[in-house]
Amino acid sequence: MLLTTSVGSLPKPEYLTAARSKARKGEIDRAELRRLEEQATREWIAIQEELGIDIVVDGEQYRGDMVAYFAEHFGGFKESELVRSYGNRYYRKPIIVGKVTRRRPVTVAWWRFAQSLTTRPVKGMLTGPYTIMDWSFNEHYPSRRAATLAIAELVREEAKDLERAGAQYLQIDEPAISTRPEEMELAIEALGRVTKGLKAKTLTHICYGDFDTIGPKLHRLPVDQVDLEFANRNFELLEFFRGRRFPKEIGLGVVDVHSHRIESVDEVIANLHKALKVFKPEQVYVDPDCGLKTRTPQEATEKLRVVVQAAREVREQLLNGRPRRRASVATSARRPYS
Amino acid sequence: MLTTVVGNYPKVAEGLYSTIGPIAKWERQELTDAQLEEAFREVTRQVIREQEQAGVDLVTDGQIRWDDLVRPLARGVTGFEVNGLSRWFNNNIYYRRPILHKAPARRKPILVEDYRFAAGAATRPVKAVLPGPYTFAVLSEDRHFKRLRPFALALAELLNAEARDLERAGAAFIQFDEPAIGCGKTDVKLAVEALNVALGGLKGTTAVVAYFGALDGALAALMKSKADVVGVDVVSDPKNLAALRRAKVTKALALGCVDARNTKLESVTELHARFKAVRNLVPADRLYVSPNCGLEFLPHTQAQAKLTRLVEAVRTYRTGGR
Repeated sequence: MLLTTSVGSLPKPEYLTAARSKARKGEIDRAELRRLEEQATREWIAIQEELGIDIVVDGEQYRGDMVAYFAEHFGGFKESELVRSYGNRYYRKPIIVGKVTRRRPVTVAWWRFAQSLTTRPVKGMLTGPYTIMDWSFNEHYPSRRAATLAIAELVREEAKDLERAGAQYLQIDEPAISTRPEEMELAIEALGRVTKGLKAKTLTHICYGDFDTIGPKLHRLPVDQVDLEFANRNFELLEFFRGRRFPKEIGLGVVDVHSHRIESVDEVIANLHKALKVFKPEQVYVDPDCGLKTRTPQEATEKLRVVVQAAREVREQLLNGRPRRRASVATSARRPYS
Repeated sequence: MLTTVVGNYPKVAEGLYSTIGPIAKWERQELTDAQLEEAFREVTRQVIREQEQAGVDLVTDGQIRWDDLVRPLARGVTGFEVNGLSRWFNNNIYYRRPILHKAPARRKPILVEDYRFAAGAATRPVKAVLPGPYTFAVLSEDRHFKRLRPFALALAELLNAEARDLERAGAAFIQFDEPAIGCGKTDVKLAVEALNVALGGLKGTTAVVAYFGALDGALAALMKSKADVVGVDVVSDPKNLAALRRAKVTKALALGCVDARNTKLESVTELHARFKAVRNLVPADRLYVSPNCGLEFLPHTQAQAKLTRLVEAVRTYRTGGR
């Protein structure tokens, strides 16, 4: 219970950021960049092992944007000229220009490499079909629905290949899922096509959420676990779950990835106890709110350290008899979830 | 039948012009305020020229200085502070949410100088664009009034003062953008009440434009507002066409009929079909056609191609394309 993990991305060390920029200008070759990506992956696996993270990630040292990475490797996509994201931030948005295809596995070799470095389970990390569609232009498919379902087939093949390679946890992120309430059903249907029949534990991470929209449908997401950001909303999200029986596992984001401040172990312990009044311990996984890639490597490491220490202490308290605080509502009186 | 744009235009045309470098340099204090202003003016000149070369009848300044629809006004009005990023309606684009701490006040005109510059750089009429009071209020966090109605009405007063100043500076066409109408639960009655305050006493042509949302339920009220032109996005929600038929078009219509959120280029035939769909609703001399929203969601090449295509479709429609 209270297994620790992280959401996916970890910051790139300075040498790798520099190398990526050189590679773009053609100043170093692909092999040299690959060598540095592998070095950074090794370092992050070692750090996670040392900290005692239960389910580790490869840290996505070889990825830029979570959608563009897949668009670059799938067929049928091309890159656009710059479009603005906000302020003075721009990015190249993928354009679907033909039938989308997966010529070969995209993430499997990296997953194998990461898993070869550790005995702990490494999560397979994928971006969900709805998010890939929503964050791309579409010039080929007649509708957003058609594009989403076509992409779902590719993500499914990738998930199956990861499972075949031995991945026990498959995370399929859908941060765009709350963007258009009228398309939530489509997002659920597409995610269902990805996860159908998979034996690995499946989970999805959702953030930037308009919770009024997604909340009532969370229990219908076709995954075993839903991972949400709790810390940056001061654990107010707990109120939504209070008094209800949430039928899935819950990934509990307990440190804010947008703030430089390192949370104290005590405050995370206190928040975990609050959460345990709402969820059962065996239902809860503990992690940061979101990918840590925007923090410095030092900040990311410190935040993960706090996650592990807090989870460990609460686990010990639960096992060694500190009476578990009961939810105030008796189980039989709980409203069914919906 | 006139062609126009909704408001913003790409600020970056790779190899031609860009505000990215100048802003980054200004942030690092390598450019002075005056140098940054000159860079903004140069890009503004270019985007006006591009719209004119594409053949657009009623252009805008492209909102080259604008981070988002509400930022310039929030910055120019005391009482506001600009906060963290929020999602821009249902797009993967973000804006900074203004927070109102105390009674808002406009000390001096905010956009008038920019308008004068744009009008001087253009050979065609330049439309002045402002956020609508309802959208401005909905997109902000209000810690002062703590109720939407007085907040929206106070913003409407400020926007009205700004619009009057713009009119005095020569703007003969003033548009209020109201994307919040139809996106989520909308208090249409309040939106129109506030809009009418913002439009009070204006002598030129005025427009209200709604995009992204579902306008069934709002159009009838918008047709009764003081605006001369109602702009409707019929791309994001095609059901808006049927809503238009039900609402009866009693004003001029600005038909947002080119998808400014997807790169796929419409064919002339497709555009003719969209023009025809409103043929019986409004006479051609009361019809404007435009992209469904600002062009900034698109990369520059596609934005330009879409404008050129729109103008081509209008030209061939007029010369017997029916």
